[in-house]
Order: sequence, then C-alpha cells, then structure tokens
Amino acid sequence: MSPKSKKIAKWSGIGVVILLVAVFLGLCKMAGSPRDVYGMVRYAFPHMHRGKLHLGDDAPDASLLALDGTIHFHLRERTGARPLVVIFGSYT
Amino acid sequence: MVKIYNDYKDHADFLTVYVREAHPTDEWQMKSNVKEDVCYAQPKTLEQRVAIANDFVRRQKYPMPFGIDDMSDAADLAYSAWPERLYVIDEHGRIAYAGGMGPFNYDPAEVRAWLTKRFGPVTQTSSATPPVKP
Repeated sequence: MSPKSKKIAKWSGIGVVILLVAVFLGLCKMAGSPRDVYGMVRYAFPHMHRGKLHLGDDAPDASLLALDGTIHFHLRERTGARPLVVIFGSYT
Repeated sequence: MVKIYNDYKDHADFLTVYVREAHPTDEWQMKSNVKEDVCYAQPKTLEQRVAIANDFVRRQKYPMPFGIDDMSDAADLAYSAWPERLYVIDEHGRIAYAGGMGPFNYDPAEVRAWLTKRFGPVTQTSSATPPVKP
C-alpha cells in the first residue's frame, strides 16, 4: 500500500469513527441514555418498517378479550354505526 | 385521548386495545416507569395481560371501552400497533386515519383534526365518564 493510500485509509477510518460517535450521541439525545439507545436498537428499530395499513384499506379484524377476562369480542363488532377511533397501547 | 373521547364520544365510538408491554421490567424498562411505579414484566399469559390492563384502567380511572390483544399478538400484528398507534375506522370498515408509530409519531391532535373535520369542533368541560364496556 502506497503512503497516499495509507493516508486515505487512515482518514477514512477516522471519519467513520467520528460518524459512529455522532450517530451514537444523537441517539443518546433522542433516547435519553446509552441504555435507552440499546433498547431502541433492540426493541424499537425492528418495528419501524411496520405500518402497512393505508387509507381506504379494509380494517383487519381481531379477536379481543374484555377486561373481565372472560368475554371475547371482535374489533369489527365495534365498527359500522359510527367512526371508530382505535387506540393501541400498553401501560408501560 | 381521554379529552378527545369526552369531546367526541357522542359522535364516534372509541376502543382502546391493550397490546404487549412497551417497557416491561425484563426488556427495555424506562426510568420514568420506575419513578411512577409502573413496573411490570412482559406478560407470558393472557391472565397476566388482563391483570395489567385492569391495573391501568383502575389507576388511571380510564373511561374508554377496552379490549385486550391475545397472546398471539394478532391485533398488534394486523395493525402494527406496538408500542402505540392510533387509527380511525370509518362506517364502512375502512381505514380513515392511520397514525404513525409511537411515541414519536403518536399524535392525538391528528385524530382530533380528523374528528373536527368530520363533526366540527367540539370541546366539552364535562368530566362525566360512562362505564367501560366489555
């Protein structure tokens, strides 16, 4: 490897490291802490490509359980009469 | 969302669907959840999901109709729901509004805007809440 090539490789490596550090710091700022960056990469990133439903698509049905833990019903049972606002989430 | 529910419950139906936990103690727990004593492991059984959902409704005095996703995460998978997401389904059973993935793109204001466009602006001060339907 010529001296010029070595110099290019060296600065390319430094550039990549600086870029990775910048990305990491950006994620830390977004997520809150390095631990949260891990959580984001481990748990959130795999879901970011999801969301295939588009306006006008038929709303999928799903079987749901009532709070009493015994009664099952279908999401579609709640549609039809009026617009249905659906809020998906969890406690944490 | 509760404010939007109270404003528009006479015009639209609402359904909250509990999906698998976003920040359980055995996965990606948040400091804010520790601070607020909202600490649960990821449920391994439907009974555990039901228990957490009931804790949520009771502690938050949550007024909206409620359903719980099954352990195959069918609703989550069908709607790309995790960790949180909003939709409006019209009277014909079609997606009329599809929100982005929470928390960064979870925007109740967009739902209010949809409802406002459809039904006009509504703001009620009543805090009366109906019982939760199964």
